[in-house]
Formats: sequence, structure tokens, C-alpha cells
Amino acid sequence: MESGTQNCLPKLVIDPSNIGPPRRAERFFKYFCDQEYFEELQGDLEEKFFINMKRLGQRKAKSIYRNEVLKMLRPSVIKKVKTQTQLNNTAMFKNYTLIAFRSIARNKLFSAINVVGLAISMAVGLLAITFLAELNSYDTFHINADRIYRVINTAYEPNQDPGLYATTSPLTGKRLKEEFAGFEKVVTIYRNFNGDAKKGDNTVSIRGLVATEEFFDIFTFPLIYGDPAQALKNPMSLVLTETSALALFGKTDVVGKIIEWDRGLQITVTGVAQNPPRKSHIQFNAVGSFSTLELMNRNNPSFMSWENMWNSHVYALLPKGEGIAPLQASLDKISEEENAKLKNWSIEMGLQSMSSVFPGKKLYNEIGARMDMKTVNSIVILALIVLASACFNYTNLSIARTLKRAKEVGVRKVIGARRAQLLFQFIIEAIIISLLALFFAFFIFQLLKPEFLAMDRNIQRYITLDLALSTYLYFFLFALAIGLIAGFLPSLALSKLRVSNILKGVSGIGANNKFNVRKLLIGIQFTLSMAFVIMVTLTYKQYKYVLGYDLGFTSENVLNINLQGNDVQTLINSFSQLPEISEISAASAVPSTGGMWMDRGKYIEGNDSLSLYNLHISPEYLDNLGHTLLAGTTFSETQGRNQIIINEQLLKRFQMGEPFDALGKTIRIQGKARNVIGVVKDFHYGMLDNVIEPFVFLGDPNEFNMINLKVASTDIVATMQKLEEKWIEIDGIHPFQAIFYDDRIEQAYSKLASSMKILGLLALIAISISMLGLLGMAVYTTETRIKELTIRKVLGANGTNLISLLSKNFILLFLAASAVAIPVTFYAFKEMVVSQMKYVIDIGALELGSGALIVLIIALLTIGSQTRKAIRTNPVNHLRNE
Amino acid sequence: MKRINLGEFEEIALLTVLVLGDNAYGVSIKTEINMDGKRSISRGALHTALSRLEDKGFLTSTQGDSIKSRKGMPRRYYQVTNKGKLALQEVREMRDALWQRIPSVRMELNYV
Repeated sequence: MESGTQNCLPKLVIDPSNIGPPRRAERFFKYFCDQEYFEELQGDLEEKFFINMKRLGQRKAKSIYRNEVLKMLRPSVIKKVKTQTQLNNTAMFKNYTLIAFRSIARNKLFSAINVVGLAISMAVGLLAITFLAELNSYDTFHINADRIYRVINTAYEPNQDPGLYATTSPLTGKRLKEEFAGFEKVVTIYRNFNGDAKKGDNTVSIRGLVATEEFFDIFTFPLIYGDPAQALKNPMSLVLTETSALALFGKTDVVGKIIEWDRGLQITVTGVAQNPPRKSHIQFNAVGSFSTLELMNRNNPSFMSWENMWNSHVYALLPKGEGIAPLQASLDKISEEENAKLKNWSIEMGLQSMSSVFPGKKLYNEIGARMDMKTVNSIVILALIVLASACFNYTNLSIARTLKRAKEVGVRKVIGARRAQLLFQFIIEAIIISLLALFFAFFIFQLLKPEFLAMDRNIQRYITLDLALSTYLYFFLFALAIGLIAGFLPSLALSKLRVSNILKGVSGIGANNKFNVRKLLIGIQFTLSMAFVIMVTLTYKQYKYVLGYDLGFTSENVLNINLQGNDVQTLINSFSQLPEISEISAASAVPSTGGMWMDRGKYIEGNDSLSLYNLHISPEYLDNLGHTLLAGTTFSETQGRNQIIINEQLLKRFQMGEPFDALGKTIRIQGKARNVIGVVKDFHYGMLDNVIEPFVFLGDPNEFNMINLKVASTDIVATMQKLEEKWIEIDGIHPFQAIFYDDRIEQAYSKLASSMKILGLLALIAISISMLGLLGMAVYTTETRIKELTIRKVLGANGTNLISLLSKNFILLFLAASAVAIPVTFYAFKEMVVSQMKYVIDIGALELGSGALIVLIIALLTIGSQTRKAIRTNPVNHLRNE
Repeated sequence: MKRINLGEFEEIALLTVLVLGDNAYGVSIKTEINMDGKRSISRGALHTALSRLEDKGFLTSTQGDSIKSRKGMPRRYYQVTNKGKLALQEVREMRDALWQRIPSVRMELNYV
């Protein structure tokens, strides 16, 4: 047989480097051919190729070869796709779970670090999920929610950033309805419908809206009684909510009944609506008819003017299946026509879908609930950062401990586990850990919930963080996702191990320092912790700075009391009887706390007009609040209505010259010529978000809403009680509302305070998680290097040497981390936290460095403690076993 | 009568293996069929037939030594099993019986 075989072989001298079958076809064949037949078939093809080459030449042989390979593409040759059998799966899954629990139990410290770190950060994640889920459920109850759009205004004034308003002129709604197309229905809503409704002895304080008749068609606020189409048609009609109807009448079936309004107006109840759902950005306890408002303002041309864009909202219902383009075109047409009549400023209109109102972008004059999208985004991003940090821990510790699992991987591979199966196994393990963490996270979440809600007044008002059934599902999916993410890298590393390496001896694997991912991850954790600490420090300083800022007047010991419709003089007379009250004044609002009122003012001489911020005050106000008069006097009791007191900015803008020169000049405001009788030093009327703008004090007593008491008392509680008694004598209905000016300012900056608290909490979490991770790494490093350390110790190294040996790597990481964290945080603080503030702290090396230093110290303590522990034991214990 | 599951091409392959004796492996079988059968089959098609014959138990195969000219890939030599031989005989007998029952007159070619 041997000889026969030999005879068949062509006698050829083969230079395999040059001559041979076409490479690509060869490779392709190898790719698809079943392993079982490959050798035989490939050999045959090869042999035939050389026979052909001899007979027909290389080119022909190659083409035949290619052809042959193509013809090999048949089921009997192609690799069988290996399908996992279903039967095996459950058994393997059981085994994986069992092994996972065993390995969790065997490495208690590492498992604890992983579970605790993940649980804490997942609690934050759960908060974010619940928060988002709740926000997204806002305004979804409207049947036409996807077709409702709101008209929003952008006001352009020279030398100012464009102002974004949720309001528009009532003219928009009117003109749309009468002249334009692009929508099915449109409603105009007037925002401030506040006052007292009376029926017999019952009084209800109404915080409502005034709307045109389409209100109940467009929005889904069902009426219990009354006709939704007709209810808001006629003047002097009103729709009550269930609650307010019950409070007034003691029943809800009250259509046709009459209630008394302020100034003796008689209003007919034309409907009773269900209370608006909590998750609605539009809230009311009564809706009046817009025709009433039109009737009352029939002699007031400015009501329907294009410039009156501060109080009314326009919502439009789009036709089914149509976009916003036609409506937007109509709006553009209106603003083009109307802007032509404006001098010095212009207004553009845009559209905002119902879903993007809450949470949405920051707009002035919001109708109700407001939640800045930026706030939402930053909460989500911060949660993600903390989560990432905890995932890094898992990844790091698991990769570091590859060594300990190597034998298991080796045995599994030898028995026949494929890489995919090992990947699956270790991912399952990570998922089990993350589910375990979810369990604890849920409890931590319940603890964090009230804290989170208490952090921000705004959040507390709109969010309850109640758990819906779907939220639990999100939680579960979230845990799965976290497990996947955390387990991905370790399982990749573990399943990559080669059997030959593992079985040769474990020494080659663990020491292999190729896993630089680990260093990178620790570096990122360092960076995050530092960034948080620095951010908290900066925000805290800014907060203190803002509260201590010299506003240009004295707010100390001033108690502001809300008039709530009561007569100013009666209250002043009554309060002034108390000896603790040294000074009393009245004003229309509380400056420096956020609210601002504005009017156009025209300087007669200069023929120039400007937007002027204003405040109505009583003559005593300037003195009471310690304003500095640069020239002139305060108002006189009798002539307050025609006089104004201006600030330095106004002086400058109208180019009136020196303060004394301005006295006696005339500025036309609200259609009336007014004399300048005084000039005050600039003070902060708005918050520190705004620079000081032109401003006037007006003196119309009808506009007063607040009285300011200068309190000099050693027993504030008793004084407050006395004040409240006085209040009750005068007003038995409304609760006494008094707040010290300084506290009110603090409230106004609560956003800063709450972001400080949130950042602080996250900083704490981020640091603890990364330190847990570091602790894990330190334990691991000392464990694996214990012999080396002991030998060094025996040879005379002291503790400091050893600690520096172990922390050397970390110090480098730390330096890199601070190089990233410091500038990034600095930038983020400038751009995000104080981007709108015009008055910002000076940021020095101390603020930036201190955060980094704190992290470094904690890190060194962590590593040091482990090293100490390791080197304090008797060397014999570590050296006697090999 | 038990039906013999043997296709036409399979029969030819089996017979070729018998012709080649000890030297029946991929290339030689293919060359033989291509030469005698005056047909051009691909190695892939042959593989399908051979592996099916093995599945049916008509063929066995043994792996030869690795051969340098084939980059060390060994040849696989095929032998017809007794079952295969029986099957071939049966098919042949069945055909012969049919042949004998045809009167020679009918076999004459008709030209119109």
C-alpha cells in the first residue's frame, strides 16, 4: 500500500512560500469547513491543486481550486451551528448561582464592600428613577396631552439677554381665534385670579385662573356639574372646584348659585369641576370667565395691548395628525405685525409642547408648577456618577481577584466550558450581587427619601416619590443593568484566561500587571470624590457670601407681614401700639428675594424710554430699611402718587447728571408724569443673579401688600405672639403671615442651599464608596505582598518605608486625579452653579486644594491602616508556610 | 423485498472505491469517476456522497499517515463494508433480473 501511495504522488519540488493554493480561498474554506472533515478535504484539495498545477499551470489550478472551495459550500461540509440545548441551561444556571453564593460567602470582606457600595449608590439611583418617573407622569392625564401646545414669548430688548416668558399677550389668543388657522382650539388663561369668595359666613380664599370658554374642552378637567362648553362663556360666571364648593356651600351641586366677590361683585357659579390632579402644572381652586375680565377692562386699552405680555397664557389644541408648523406661521405673522408698532423692543413667539412644560426650560411668569430641566438633568447626572463609582469598585475588586478564581476557570475550560458560558457565569454573579444590593438599596432609599424631599422646597412641593407598580419594575431592570455593567469587565478578564497558563501555575496570572483598567478606574474615583468635595466647598462659600452680601440696605430685625387684603393704616395703627416695634413702613413687595415688578418709563427731557423696576413704598420705608438718600427727600404723605425716587443707575442711563440735578425732572410712568424728588444709592432690588438696573420707588398706597416692622425685642417669640393677637383682632380669616427679612432672603437662595446639601450628600457617598474600593484594593495588595513586606520588615524596613512603598502608586494616581478634578470642577462651578449670578466669590488655591487634600488624607489613612495591620503581626506567621 | 437505499451516484462511488482497492481516497476516487464516468464532479459533491454512504454503513474509512506534500494533512482511505457489497449485489441482481425479462426485440432502436 505504501508504495502504491507513493506512486500516485506527483514528483514536485515545492516552495511553499511562493507556490500554493490561493490564500484567501484557503482561509475562507478553513472558516466555514466543519472541523471534523477539514483535514481530509483540505488535504485533498491541496493535492489536487498540485496535480492540476503540473498539468494545467498555476493560474488554471488556482481557479479550479477557488471553484472547488465554492462548491464545498454545502450542508454536509459547512460547520454545524452549535446550539445550546435547553435542557442543560437550567442545570448550569443553578450551578452558577450556587457557585456565586459560595464565592460571596467565602470572601466576606470583598462581598460586603461590593454590596454596601452598590447598595448606597443604587439607593441614589432609585431616587433618581422615582424622581424621573414621577416627573414624567406630570400632565399625562389630559386626553389630548400630545396635541396641546403653549405659546411662549421671547422678549428682545437692547443691551439685554433675551427674556423667556411662559406668558404672552391676551391679544395673541384673541387674534389667533379671530383671524388665523393652524389649530383646532385655543384658550387664553389669565394667571392671577386671587381674592376672597364669600357665601353667607363662609369665605374661601381663591387662588384661581381666568380662562376663555375653551378651557374645559382643551384640558381634561372634568366637570361634575355644569356644561363644559358653556360654563365660562358669560361674564360674571365662575367654575368652582369640588373642594372650594364644599367649603363655600357644604355641597357640590351648586350650579346657578351666586357668590360674593371683593368689591361687592356678584358672581354666578356655572359649574363644579373635579379638583385638578396633583400631577398637573396647572392648578386652581376656581376658574373665572375671561369675558368678565374683558368687560372690566373695556376702557383700558393697555389690557389687550401687545405689550401686556406678563399675565396671560395661551394654549392651543392642534388638529389631529398635524404638526406645529402652520400654527407657528400664524404666530410669526402676528408678532411681525405687532412688533412693527413697538419701539425699542420686540417679541417673538414660540411653541412648547405640554410634555416639555414640566419639567421644562426656565421661563419667567410660569403659570404654576415649575421645575428646571437643568435641575433634573443634574440630579440624574450626579446619580449616574455615584453609580459609576460603585460599579468601578466591583470591577476593580473582581479583576484584582482574578487570581483566586483562575483555577475554577481553568477546570471549567478543561471540562469544556466555552468562553461565552464563562462570561455568562461571571455576569450572573455580578447580577446576583447587584440584586442583593438592590434589596439593601431599597431600605436605604426609604431612609433617603424624606431627606431628599426636605432638601429643596421646590422638589417637595411637586414630588412625593410615591412608588408606582411600574417603578418596581424599573428598579429590577435597573439592578440587572447595573449587574451587567459592573460584571462586564471582570467576566471579560476572567474568561480570557488561557487554560495552559492557569494549569502551568497561578503565579503567571495575578502578578501580570496588564490590567491598567484598574488604575484608571481608581483614578476616576479619586477624581470624582475630589470634584465633589471641591464643589461642596465652593458652593458653601458662595452661599455664605451671598447671604452676607451688602445689599445696600439693612434687612436686620425687619419683620415683613403680608397684608392679605387688609387695610394698611388699620394694621399700622394697631401694630404701632406695641413697644417692641420701633419703626413701621409699607411696601408693595419684598425686594432682593426674587420677585420683580417692571414698567416702561419715559424721560420727557431726554425723549428716551427704558424698562424700570419699581416698588411702591410708604414715606417711612427708606428710613426703616436704611436706604441712603443721595439727594432730595422721601415721599410726603399727601403727594406720594405723583412723585418718584430714583436710583443711581437710572440717573446714569437717562444721563441726568449729578443726583441734585435730577431733582424736579419728569419721568412718565404708567401714563402719568411724575416728579423726581429723591435719588437713592444703588441697592440690590433683584437677587444677586441680576446686576443693578434702573429703578424707581413709587408711592401709591393702593399697591401696598406688605408692612415692614422694625422689631427691637429680646423675646421674639412673645413679640410674635402679641403681633399675631393684634392680627387676629383685625383679620379673623387669613392666617398671620410674618417672616423676618433675613430669613426670607435665605429662602430666596434656597436653591443654592439645596444644591449644596445635595452635593454634600453625594460627596459623602462618593467618598465613602471610593474609600471602600480603596480599602478593598489595599487589603488585596497587602494580602498578596505580605511575604515581601514581612521579609522587608525582617531586613529592617520600618513602617513608614512600607507604607510609602504601598502608597507610591496611589500617590501618582492621586496627582493625576487632582490635575483633572481641580480645573474641571472650577469650570463646572463657574458654568453651572453660579452661571447666572453676577456676584461670585473669588476662588483661590485654598478652596481648590483643600478638597484634594481631604481625599488624599483619607486615602492615605485607609492604606496606612491596612499596612500597619499587616506588618504588626509576627513575621513568623507569614514566613513559616510556603 | 427489502428496498435498498442506494442512489445512482452513490452506487458509482461505491463501485469506484471497490475498483481502487487500497488506494481509495478523495483525490483518487474523484479522478477515477471523472475519467471513467465522463462526468465532472466536485470534491464537495463527492464528500456529500461518501459521508452519506458512511452514515448508511456501506463504507468505512481509516485515516492514513500524514503526508508532507499535503502540508501534513492525512488522507482518508475508504473501504466498502460487507453491507455495502451486499447492497451492490442486490442492486445488480435486481437489474439483471429486469434485463433478462426484456425480450431482445424490444431493445432494438427504433428510427422513424
